[in-house]
Formats: sequence, C-alpha cells, structure tokens
Amino acid sequence: MSLNNDTPKPMSNELIQISMPLTQKAGKKYWRSLDELADTKEFREWVTKEFPGGVDMLEGSSRRNVLKIMAASFGMAGLAACRRPMEHVLPASRGIEDFVPGQAYFYSSIFQHAGEAMGILVETHDGRPTKIEGNPQHPYSLGASTVHAQASLLSMYDPDRAQKVAKSGNESGWDEFNSFVISEWMLRLGRGDGLRFLSGRILSPSYRALKASTLKAYPNAKWVEYEPFAAENELAGTVTAFGQPLTAHYHFDQANVTVALDSDFLGVDSGTVLPIKRWTKNRHLHEGATELNRLYAVESRHSLTGMNADHRLRLRSTEIPAFVADLMAAVEGQAPSGADKRSKWIGVLAKELNANKGKSVVIAGPNQPPAVHALCFALNQQLGNIGQTITFTKPVYETADAGVSALKSLVGEINNGQVKQLVVLGGNPAFTAPYDLHIGDAIKKVDTSIFVGADPNETWQLVTWALPEAHYLECWGDAVAPDGTPSIQQPLIAPLYGGKSQAETVAMLTGAKDQSGYDIVKNYWLPQFPAKGQKAEDAWEKALNDGIIPGIKEPEVKVSADVAKAKAAAASLPKQGASGLEVVFYPDDWVYDGSYANNGWLQELPHPVTKLVWDNAALVSHQTMLKLGLIDGQIVNLKRGNFIVEMPVLMQPGHADDSLTVLLGYGREQCGRVGDGVGFNGYPLRTTAAYNIATDLTLEKTEKREMMVSTQTQDSMDGRHPIIEASLTEFHEKPNFVEEFAEKPPTVGLYQQMVWDKGYQWGMSIDLTSCIGCHACTIACQAENNIPIVGKEQVHRGRHMHWIRVDRYYTGSVEDAEAVTQPIPCMQCENAPCENVCPVDATVHSPEGLNEQVYNRCVGTRYCLNNCPYKVRRFNFLNWHRHITEVEKMAFNPDVTVRMRGVMEKCTYCIQRIQETRIRVKLEGHRQNKPPVPIKDGDIVTACQQTCPADAIVFGNILDTGSRVSKLKKLERDYQLLGELDTRPRTTYLAKIRNTNPELA
Amino acid sequence: MADLASVIREECNPPMLSRDMSYHDITDQISSVTEWKKTPKQWWILITITSSLLLLLLAMLTYLVSTGIGVWGNNSPAGWAWDITNFVWWIGIGHAGTLISAILFLLRQKWRTAINRAAEAMTIFAVACAAIFPLFHTGRPWRAVYWLFPIPNTYLHMWQNYRSPLEWDVFAVSTYGTVSILFWYTGLIPDLATLRDRSPNGLRKVMYGIFSLGWRGSSTHWKHYEKAYMILAGISTPLVLSVHTIVSFDFAVSVIPGWHTTVFPPYFVGGAIFSGFAMVMTLLLLSRWALHLENIITMRHLEVMNKVILATSMIVGYSYGTEFFIAWYSGDIYERFHFFNRITGPYWWAWWTMCICNVVIPQFFWVKKMRRNIAVMFIISITTNIGMWFERFVIIVLSLHRDFLPSSWGYFRPTWVDVCTYLGTFGLFLTLYLLFVKFLPMIAIGEVKSTLSAQNHVEHVYAHYLETYEGAETKETHGLA
Repeated sequence: MSLNNDTPKPMSNELIQISMPLTQKAGKKYWRSLDELADTKEFREWVTKEFPGGVDMLEGSSRRNVLKIMAASFGMAGLAACRRPMEHVLPASRGIEDFVPGQAYFYSSIFQHAGEAMGILVETHDGRPTKIEGNPQHPYSLGASTVHAQASLLSMYDPDRAQKVAKSGNESGWDEFNSFVISEWMLRLGRGDGLRFLSGRILSPSYRALKASTLKAYPNAKWVEYEPFAAENELAGTVTAFGQPLTAHYHFDQANVTVALDSDFLGVDSGTVLPIKRWTKNRHLHEGATELNRLYAVESRHSLTGMNADHRLRLRSTEIPAFVADLMAAVEGQAPSGADKRSKWIGVLAKELNANKGKSVVIAGPNQPPAVHALCFALNQQLGNIGQTITFTKPVYETADAGVSALKSLVGEINNGQVKQLVVLGGNPAFTAPYDLHIGDAIKKVDTSIFVGADPNETWQLVTWALPEAHYLECWGDAVAPDGTPSIQQPLIAPLYGGKSQAETVAMLTGAKDQSGYDIVKNYWLPQFPAKGQKAEDAWEKALNDGIIPGIKEPEVKVSADVAKAKAAAASLPKQGASGLEVVFYPDDWVYDGSYANNGWLQELPHPVTKLVWDNAALVSHQTMLKLGLIDGQIVNLKRGNFIVEMPVLMQPGHADDSLTVLLGYGREQCGRVGDGVGFNGYPLRTTAAYNIATDLTLEKTEKREMMVSTQTQDSMDGRHPIIEASLTEFHEKPNFVEEFAEKPPTVGLYQQMVWDKGYQWGMSIDLTSCIGCHACTIACQAENNIPIVGKEQVHRGRHMHWIRVDRYYTGSVEDAEAVTQPIPCMQCENAPCENVCPVDATVHSPEGLNEQVYNRCVGTRYCLNNCPYKVRRFNFLNWHRHITEVEKMAFNPDVTVRMRGVMEKCTYCIQRIQETRIRVKLEGHRQNKPPVPIKDGDIVTACQQTCPADAIVFGNILDTGSRVSKLKKLERDYQLLGELDTRPRTTYLAKIRNTNPELA
Repeated sequence: MADLASVIREECNPPMLSRDMSYHDITDQISSVTEWKKTPKQWWILITITSSLLLLLLAMLTYLVSTGIGVWGNNSPAGWAWDITNFVWWIGIGHAGTLISAILFLLRQKWRTAINRAAEAMTIFAVACAAIFPLFHTGRPWRAVYWLFPIPNTYLHMWQNYRSPLEWDVFAVSTYGTVSILFWYTGLIPDLATLRDRSPNGLRKVMYGIFSLGWRGSSTHWKHYEKAYMILAGISTPLVLSVHTIVSFDFAVSVIPGWHTTVFPPYFVGGAIFSGFAMVMTLLLLSRWALHLENIITMRHLEVMNKVILATSMIVGYSYGTEFFIAWYSGDIYERFHFFNRITGPYWWAWWTMCICNVVIPQFFWVKKMRRNIAVMFIISITTNIGMWFERFVIIVLSLHRDFLPSSWGYFRPTWVDVCTYLGTFGLFLTLYLLFVKFLPMIAIGEVKSTLSAQNHVEHVYAHYLETYEGAETKETHGLA
C-alpha cells in the first residue's frame, strides 16, 4: 500500500473502522504524526500484515496492543491526510513531471454562485487548496474572480459543516444509510409515484443527465428546481417578449449608454465577473482611450451599481414600472411634460438612448415584475439593441418545474399526502423558501425525507435522513457557464468529512449505473467529445487542464421582441408606486441567501455600500428616518397582520423615500459557530405573494436597539481630497486637474534620502475610474495573506485586520448622495513615517522600495500604526487564531507567516509572490547556464490585482519604462494620496472620472 | 519703625521653621516616625489598601501579558491610549523631585529642604510607575524587555533604530531613573547614619549601618558629601529638562496633526513641573497632617510651591493657546481640523476638563488667601493632576482618533482593564511611599538643620536690632524675649 494510490482499493472493514476517527468532528489528526509514524518499522509491519483482525487486537487490551491500534489510527489519519484525489487531476498552468512538495500547483475547476458558473483555478499546496483565482481561459472569469469564489475556500474548511449522516436527528453512518437504501428505500420507489426531488438550479450537464435518467426510470417522480434568488422575472419577461424562455446576455462593453433600473448587475445580481469585466472595459482612460461609457442608475436602494453610476436617480422600486413605461413613450417621441426631476430624467434618458441606438442597454433588476422586463426588452428592441448589445441564448438550466410556482405546487402535493419520498438536494429550503409555504412543516409530513446538505442547517433538522454534502472542491462535477461553455469540476482534496456530491447521492438513491462522481462525470463527457477512444481521453485531459471544454456553447438565438405584446403586458402594471411603505428584498451582498452565513471572511467583509459587518439591516432613506423618528440601529417591527419580524434600521444616503430594503440571508439559527444568531432573519416577510417587493407591511417603532458595526464610521471626506474626482468634460478641458489638489510644500528631510534608481522598484497604480468597489481585492488579500477575522465586537473596537480596505465616501446631499470608492493597501512610502519610529527596526525599507515588516523583530509598540497617515497597519491586539481549528489551519497559505499576537502586520505587495517569481526566474536562468533573466512586466501579480474584475490595480517595476505601472503613473490623472506629507508613496491613484451628462449635472 | 520691622520680618523672611525648634527637636521629630514602637493602625489600614491596589496592578499586567493588548481599549487608529497617557503622566509627576532637589539646590532656594526628600522619593516611585507602561504597552513585552536595549542580537540581524524617539526614551528614562536614585540615596546617607546611631542593636541598626556606608559625620565626610551632592545636582539639572523633552519627541517627531509641533519640549517640561508640584503638594499636605509636621513644612513652603504651580499653569495655558494659534496660522487643513475637533469633537469633554483644571482653576492662586488655604491648595493639587492626565489623553487619543483619512477615523473606549491598571499604579506608588515614610526619614534632617542655623542667625540679628532700636516690651510682643 503506497501513500499515493493511483487506483482506489477497497478497504477492509477493519480498516474502515480503524480509520473512523478521521471522519469525526475533531479534526486534530489530519497532519499530525505522518512523518514520525509513516516510516516506523512497526507501522510498516502493521500495514503489510493487511490489517488482520483489528477487533481481536482491541480485545486483548494489553498496553502494547492499545499502542499498536493507536499508531495505526494515527497513521491512517496521516495517510488519508494526504488527501490526494484518487482519480487523475491535471494542473492547469503547467504540467506535473514530478510532484514537488511545498510547491503550489493550480488546478482548474468551476465555481457556482447565484445560479451561474464561472471557471476558476485552485491553488493547492501539498494537496490542500489554499487560494482560488479566476481561470484566464474561462469566458466568464477571464482571470478575475469574485468575492464569493474567493471565500468559498473557507467554507470548505468550515469545521461546522455537516460531517456525519444523521437519521432523524441522531448520529448514524453511511453504512446504515446504504443498508437503508438497499433494504427499504429502493423497494418502495416503484414507478416513483410518491417520489419528489427538490434541488437548486442545476448547471451540471452530467447531473442533468442523471436527473433525466432518474425521471425516466421513475416516470411518475417529479423534480423541482428552486433558487431563492434566480432571475425568474427576467425569464418570464423573455417569454412575454420573445415567446420563449431565454437568457439575456448583456454586452456592456459594446454599449455607450447603460440604464440600470433597480438592477445591480455589477453586484449581487451576478454570479460571475463578466458583467464587471464588460462594463469596466470602457471605464479605462489610458492606452488611447479617451471616452467612457455612461451608466444611469434608477433604483430604490443605493446599490453597488448605483455607486458606480454616472447619474443616479433614487426611485421607489414600485415606481419603476411607470418610469419604464414613460421612458418607452419618451423614446418613441412622447416626451414627458412635467418639469420635475423624474420627467427631466426621462427626457434626458430618451435623448441619450435614441442617440445611441444599437449602442445602449436598458436592464431591469430581478425584483421588477416580468412585464417590466418584457417592456425593457421591447425598449431595447426599439433602440435596436437586441442582437447588438443584448443577445440571447437558451437557458443553460431547466425552466420547467422550476422556480417559486413549482415549489408551491410541490408543497401542495406534500400537504395533500401525495409525496412519500422527498429528496432535498442541497440548499436550505426550510430557511429560504417563501414563508407562507411553511415548507418546514411540509417536509416533516413526508414519510421518508432525505436531505443532502452542506451544513447541519434549518432543513437538516427536519428530515428522516440527513447526509453531508461534499463541497465543490471535494468532488467531481461539471457546470456550464451562462453561455453554455462547460467546465469540469475537479476535486482538490478528498472529502474532509466523507460527504457525497448531490449527483452521487442521487446515483446512490436511484441505483444508477455510475455511482462515483468521477464515473458520472467522465462517462457523461467521453461520448460528448467528437474524438473517440484514446483521443477522447486526451480531450478529457485537455478539458481538465484548460478548465473549459472548447467548442461547446449555446448558439445565439436570433429573436426580436414583440413590442405590442410587451406593451400590452405592461399596461396592467400599476401607474403609481405603492401607497404605503414598500419593502424590497435583496440577498445580502456577501452572505447571499444565507449559505455563506458561517463564512467568517464574508461576515467580516464590509458591505460594499453600507460598510456594515456582521449584520444586516433594513435600509431606509434619511427623510424616512426623520419622518418615522428613527435612529440608526433602532429596531422596528415589520408587521403583516399580527405577524411581526424585528429588524434594525440603518439610514442609507441616496435611498428612496418610503422604501425599505431588507437584506436577506442573515439571522441563521443553525449554521455554526460563526453565523449562528448573527443579524436578523427577513425571510419570514417574503411570501409567494410578496416575493420580491412587499407592499402589505407596516412598520412599528420599538425602543430596542442593535449595535450596528461598520469598518468606516465617517462617510464624508470632510473637505479633504483623498479621492480626486472630475467629470469627463472637465478632464478633457484640463487633463492635469489633479494638480489643483496636490499641495507640494517645500520639504527638507532630516535624514539622507535613499536613491531608487537600480534593480526592480516596485510600485502600484490604482485606477479609481475603473474601480467599482466590489471588495474582491480585500477578500483575495485575506486568502493570500492568512489574514484573520476578529468578530463583531473587535471590529467595533476598531481592530479589523484587512490589509487592503475599500474606503467609501459619499458626496453631495444625503438625499441624492453619490458614492466614491478607493481601495487602500499599504502605500509603500519611499519616505515612510512608520520606519523611523520603530525602535527595533521591525519595519524597514528594501532596496526594491518595499516597506517590509519583519514580524519576528516586532515587539508591538504600535508607534508605526500611529504614525501611518493612511492607517493601513494592522495590529494583532489579541491572538486572533486562538479558536481556529486544525481543519481551518489547512486553509493557510504556507508561503505567508501566520502572525502571532502582539505584532504589527500590513500589506507588502505580496512579497511572497515577488520572491517566488524571483526564484523561478533565477532558476530558469541557472538551468540554462545563463545569467538570470529579468523579471518581465506581468510576471508578478499581487493577489488584489489578480482578482480585480475591473483591472483597476496594476503592479510592476516603475523603473521599467515599458511596464504598465510606469505608463499609468505617467498619466496626468496620477496623484499621490496625502502626497503633501512627503511620504512619496509607491502606490498612487488615477483620479476618478465620471462621465456626467451636462444636461443632468 | 516697629511696623516696618515686622513687615520685613514676616514678609521678606518669614521663618522656615517654627522658632522654638532646636537641632535636637528636629532630629527627634523626623526620626520618630521611623522609630514607632508600635506602628499606628492607620498605617496598616493604608498599606492594606495600597498593597491591594498593587496586587490589582500585578493581576492586570498578568492578564495583559497572557492575553494581549486587546484587553485594553487600544485600537486602530488609537494605537496608544491610556497606556502612554499614564506613562507621560507619571513621568511628568516624577519631575518635581529632581527639580526641587537639583535646580532649587543650585539656585540656593533654602525652602526646598523641608520637602526635597519626599519629593525625590516621589520622583523615583513615579518613574517606577511610569516605566511599567513603555514595557507593558508593547505587544510582546518578553521581547521588548531586552530588544530595546543595545544587546547584540545576531540571530535577527537587528540593532536598535536610533532614529526612533522610543529608543531615545529608553535611554532618557533609564538615565533619569538611575540618576534620581543616586541623588536621593546620596542625600540619605547622613540621615541614615543618624537613624543608625539612634537605633538599638539589632537588625535595624545593621541595615541602617550598611546603607549609611560608614558615615561618621566628620568634616571630611561632609566636605565630600557636599561635593558629591553638588555634582549630582549638576548632572540632574539637564535631565529634568531632557527627559520630558525626549518624551515629547515621542509625539513631536511624528507626522500626526496635534503631535507634529515644535512647541512640545518646553510645553511638556512646564506641564511636568506643574503636575509634579501638584502631586508633591497632595502628598505633603497629607503627610504634614498625618505626621504633625506643621512646624517643619510651614505655610511658607506651601505658598512658594503654590506660586510655582501658578507659574507653570500659565506656561501650560500659554502653550495651549500657541497650539491653536499655530494651527490656525499654518493654514494646514489637518491641523486646523484637529484643533477644532479638540473643542467640538466627540471628546470635547476631555479638552474642556483639561482646560478648566489646568488653566482656569489655578488662577485662584493669584489671591494670597487662597495660596495659604490648606483646603484650597489641596483641591487644586488634585484638579491639577486630573487636568494634566487629561492633557496627555487629549494629546494622545484626540490626535490619533481622527487623523488624515476620514475613512479611518475611530473612537477609543477604555476597558475595565485600562481603569484597573491605572488604579493599580497608584497602589505601587502609594505602597512605596508608605514604606518610605515608615523606614526612611521623610525630611532631610541634615539639610533642615542647615536652614535652622541660618534662620537662627537672622533671628539673632533681628533681636539685636530690636534691642538696639526698640524697647524690651516690643521684643516680648514679638516673642523673642
């Protein structure tokens, strides 16, 4: 038996028993004792004896025997700790000739979020996935990645994940479940009369094939797909407008003008980075580009998209249908007569859209009713955008038996007693389903209910059999991007807690031919390749390597919208907004539908607009706050009849009046030690009738208060200019406008200044024009640099640890506030105020211009923190790793020191990546017997830069005149933050340019 | 003529000691405190309280070191808060002793003799309290305890950074502490010998004998003693100015608005003397009352000290004004905002407390009656120390909590550990003081006697004058007969 098993061998029962502790909760044994134990003589003997009768040995419980058993179980823990997947997985970026321990390898895979899939590369160290990057070859990633893709890594190492099979809430095992399936379950299935499946949206072709064969084998069974936040209304809108369900693809990169109507396409509405990539493509004013696209946002809450809009109109969500109808009329020539702001907007928008026919996009948000979507498609049709900036394909997911209506009928069937066997695949319907369905009660009524779930959540407690689900990094699978491009999901590690994927569970429950995930996926795909035989195997390997299967794509569906029908549908829309309060539901930007509630990185990641951490809130406008006499953090009762939900309110500048935004996903009760009891659960307000917007709720004040914690308490720039902003016109008139803001007092240094004219001189440029403030950089940095989380109380005390933060300031009035964002890593000042004040030289300058932090020298005087004008230094006030489990430790990047309490830490431009590249380049030269080749521009990318979907961050050698960073720094928009202090920062900013429309300015 | 004479006598040269004291009386009275047959119950009660506080300090420091700085309220942006506030406050208090001993000695201010010993002791105890914070405020005190000193350390390729004011601090404070102890001890030697000579045989005699270094009171001894004392006074004098100057560099060298200012060295030294004198006043008044030392620590001493307090209060007040003027005059938006924020920001109460305590209340001392009123001076000595604590809090926390980038502004809230640690330092300070009172002469016997001789000389001259120019009756009325 070797450590690296190439083919799975059946385990003897004794062996399984001995290795049982591995799957138990205490994860302490994973990496322990392998080195010591794997090579001991006794152990080898023990292994070669093929485990003769372990049980007998336990009975003769002499000390020697006990030790032997213990040694074996430790050893087995160690063996399994390697967790090499048993099937062949291939690296994406370079081939493995031989595995080099300690070296990072990248594997391609696919990440699913918000009903969409995006290709990723997973960095692994010695069999542990440690970082997720975008797959540059994947059309929906293009090398960048999202906050959720980054953070999903931590979810895999979550020690609170489901770990054991549970039968009616009691601990059980896969063996018991297996025998239950064979002896009871299979016998009862028949033709599937009482058999129902409930899953999330399935983007996996192999899983869909399995679903199809299941439904074929059990023709009377039904399978419902439900996502709590799917663009169902848009799909319904396409049915109205085009007569068939279609997926709309918005090509923001080809649009000069985008009108977002309650749409957060840059933020929570999208599961991939493509919308950001496309939109920001024309938000770069360099390399010859002189024009920007223009974004208008009309929305109730201030969303990430609204923050980035060149013009933003706050409007209640229920008033948007009428707005769209008027806009449609205006585009067709019936300009509105009023003189109010809304009419002016409609006039300007109509003019802009008509001037950019075929070069514009009008997009409605998922909360808007189907008729609004249909009307928007009709509007786009009128503008000639359909087929140009908006294209359509068939949905890559099932549209029949899907969505909230399908879920409703499923619950109806259960309540009628028609359902005998219910299989809930993933998700957490008991938490996320519309409240009036009372799906939890329904599940309890089913004779046999089986749930395969990632964590012991609210649904887990209700079912007969609850099975741990393997994380996507642990199991084989596949998924298609929204355009139909398929990718294979490769496991990077054997399931930590012995979970199974949903497909594997279905295969087990239905007695499918292929039982293992690998077989399910591979046997699906091999026939799909045009080549057969060995060539198909080669194609398979290439697909694994590249992360995409080329040549397969949904063909574009050429359609044109039925304008008359759309208008007719829209005629039924209300002409006025809701008479009372409207309550609009959104998933929280980070914990999403609640599935990330136990992910500490996301809990502590500030909300992109409110900067709130570890909490959600009902967002209201300043005026409404005043009107209702509320203060931030005050808890209100949201009432529907006698039904009450408590929720703290938070004033959001720029929010529409008489509107309330409830962020869902918080208030989980059963998700684990991180997320339990954090925030307030708004789902009970969401019903099938009031699914997206509720107008039947009343608000009642209470005197209770919730402590709302954010990482930024000051919202205005207070007369200062950390962010320098101008309109495009102003910029064209005066390209060097930043100089007006730059004070350059004459300064004399006390000490002799270093001269930075040799070797590599690292620098960074951050383009505030293209930065959208999505926070992906923060979370990428957190994953790359082993940055701890500190919890709500400590954030409140001002001790959060992010090395790159995203500052958000509001400008203008509190009613119509505009927001600007600015990512702030360490500036790597050439004349660093932190350096001369450290008594022990723990922060020193490298010859390459890095402001280095020497952790083991640091004694923690915190003087550097005080003296840093940018406050980017982070201090380990307490041992933030105290409660970390052994499993979570596996998520650490071994290239970066984990800092102890009492030392200061901060961004060092990912010095580990610089060093890695330097060594690689040196070795390459060495191998060829040549002097080291210079590091080329782009060889080193920092974690924040790599993940930035907007390409706003550029890092490189500023002495190299050809490098991107030095070109950017030569732009006239380049400015130093607090340059007047003579800190000479290496990180500089490109001023923010908004493409404002003079007619609205 | 008689009126004029009494004016001269009372105003220009009031007695530093009661007129009816002899050398023996002085020795007896001062030594008696250390020779209690039975230590009074009050002393035991007091030391029980103070040593409980000392234990609290030890407990807090243990908790701090074992758990981390996070048990305090320090945060980002306020990397320093109560810790360095307490440090500067205590080190400021430690200024009065050396000032009284060294500078006033060199200036031949004889009135210092009654109070210098206690003030010096207080200095040392205050420096001990202060020294806790630079060490324990670090994240890793077990490293800081020796990495801050120039001990070769090849394994980290590390040497101290002499550009850092914190490194200057290490030397400034340790030098000050060392010289203060030496100065104090040198002054104690003749008095320790006195105590030795008065002690019965036993441990007491042996201990005093060891520490009095064989002092016999010969003229040679006195000659050497006087020289040594003079030299140490000479060494101490610049230290009085340098320590707090360097402590002020901890702030002045930085870039933070509210810290980055050249006015700090004189401002800090003035403030240190201010708070030091106030603390001496507090302790003296209590000791004087408890140990019945009214005849040695007379109203004249107290009044002179009150004048110093008034003068330094004016220096401090002037500095506050200067800071505001410069902030306005500089036109620097960060400076201007900072000082505006001091008065109107979330910590407005701290600034106003400081201002009222340090600048407004001491103005009562313009009135002679107030200067000579025990209750008034006691209250003002307390408010001054409150005000001076707040001055350091204002400088440290208010400057840090809102600096350059509004996004990073924050708020500091102390924790119970902050409060208990601060209270605990009083335990250390007062316990040491009580031990000092019990075991050492709290007034310099030898020096006081020298003032008595001078005073007797003046009395003698005056009596002669009266005899010559006035009648015997007048003499009687003046109590000189």
